[in-house]
Amino acid sequence: MNIKYLALETRRVIRAPRFLIFTVGFPVVFYLLFSNLYGNQGGAAEQAATRAWIMAGMAAFGALTAAVSTGTRIATERGAGWQRQLRLTPLSGGAYLVTKALVGMLVSVGPLLLVCAVGAATGVRLDAAAWAQLVIGTWLGLLPFAVLGVLIGQLSTPDSVQPIGSATFMLLSIGGGLWFPPELMPTWLNRLAHVLPSFWYGGIGRDAVGHQGVTMQTVLVLGVWTVGLALVAARRYRADTARV
Amino acid sequence: MTTRTQQAGTPGAVASGAAVALAGLRKHYGEVRAVAGIDLVISPGEVVALLGPNGAGKSTTVDMMLGLTRPDAGEVRVFGQQPRDAVTSGTVGAMLQAGALLDDATVAETVGLVAALHRAPMPVGEALDRAGVADLARRRCGRLSGGEKQRVRFAVALVCDPDLLVLDEPTVAMDVAGRRGFWQAMHAYTETGRTVLFATHYLEEAENYADRVVLIRAGRIVADGSVAQVRAAVSGRTVRAVVPGATEPALAGLPGVTNVQLRAGRAVLHCADSDATVRALLAAYPDAHDIEITSAGLEDAFLALTGNPEEHR
Repeated sequence: MNIKYLALETRRVIRAPRFLIFTVGFPVVFYLLFSNLYGNQGGAAEQAATRAWIMAGMAAFGALTAAVSTGTRIATERGAGWQRQLRLTPLSGGAYLVTKALVGMLVSVGPLLLVCAVGAATGVRLDAAAWAQLVIGTWLGLLPFAVLGVLIGQLSTPDSVQPIGSATFMLLSIGGGLWFPPELMPTWLNRLAHVLPSFWYGGIGRDAVGHQGVTMQTVLVLGVWTVGLALVAARRYRADTARV
Repeated sequence: MTTRTQQAGTPGAVASGAAVALAGLRKHYGEVRAVAGIDLVISPGEVVALLGPNGAGKSTTVDMMLGLTRPDAGEVRVFGQQPRDAVTSGTVGAMLQAGALLDDATVAETVGLVAALHRAPMPVGEALDRAGVADLARRRCGRLSGGEKQRVRFAVALVCDPDLLVLDEPTVAMDVAGRRGFWQAMHAYTETGRTVLFATHYLEEAENYADRVVLIRAGRIVADGSVAQVRAAVSGRTVRAVVPGATEPALAGLPGVTNVQLRAGRAVLHCADSDATVRALLAAYPDAHDIEITSAGLEDAFLALTGNPEEHR
């Protein structure tokens, strides 16, 4: 692992206007929008609970977007010949992919913390344990999505990667109940949602604001997804290098 | 038609002490034979041009030398190492064709990153200086001109402080001034005793900057030697003179003449032995004048040896 490489990659992502607008800006705007639309009903306690729920959803959405879209940059870099250039350095292909996933994890901290900060500034009150679960738990739960981004980057072309990446994080966040509560989903969708890693990932924040801990099942499902996706990515990587 | 100044390794055996040793190298892409058996030994300190028309197999050969492509058969050694090991140890630096820069990273970041990945790089500032891009250090790569990009890629190739520098069509996007600047930078580097192999289809570059020219065509080496030797491989000189009263058959009968063109009293004689021709010409036509003797350029050699008519204008 090369720290300087990790640092440059992270810097490249976070200074891109697209990242700042869509990945960091949008979740904050949506939080403010939704919390003003729905967060003024009922008593003070109910209002605070609704706002907390929306904040958890949008923080998770922003972080998920950041994690997935970072890995998808791989497709663009391959198209530009940058991967070939890197193959003329001691950096191994495996280290390149692992770095991309780590960068995805690092840059997700931005939208995650920012949405939570705006939430705290607009009346969301949680105890320390709930904040910790919401921020740290959600962040750790991102791991399968960072790997998924890498896999999408490996599988797609520079032209197709944008729509594939966007469709992926939109479907995952809607199906994962980050935009509206899973209880409001039709039964079939709710059942389907349970298969998605994003349902369990979103559950970490939902449970935090609902004063519940992280279940073993959540850890297990996300762990299995991470390992499964990593295996597919590794397999794909070996196929790529064998073709040389 | 192959002339060699260096004794190439016999296939299967890889010369020791060579900067580059290729033995029996072959690569097929489906039905296409990109490289059809190349043996080449380059000694440390040589500046070698790999010259050939597009599609001759230059880039495939370079890719195999760098471990980017695996040969179907044959062996590659770079300073005695396998290509990947040579890359990892920073023994070889390369400038690839096309792309290979990140539009959103600055010049200094890009070169700095490659330096950080290598084990014993030269200082980033030095690489930028040598490539003549120090004044562009803070510019994003996406905002560079074609020639500037090439020089940044040269800096990327240099920064690992390699013993062997491999350049694939290095000046392809450059204007005349850019090209001159690039080769000046290159020359400064080769004066430190480094080995350079560059692929090009510009004859002029091979003629001006290489100690040795390896002509490649349809995946094979068709000539290998100094510029003078490769030129001589197509042998001969051209004698031009105004010869009053001469006829083509008469001129063709002179010793050493291989081909005659006569237009308005002005003769162009292609000769295998121009000295003999001129002596006989003056004996037969004492008032022949404006005599000019030129040797065939590398361009003629190139056309003669790579001879695919539609490749040439």
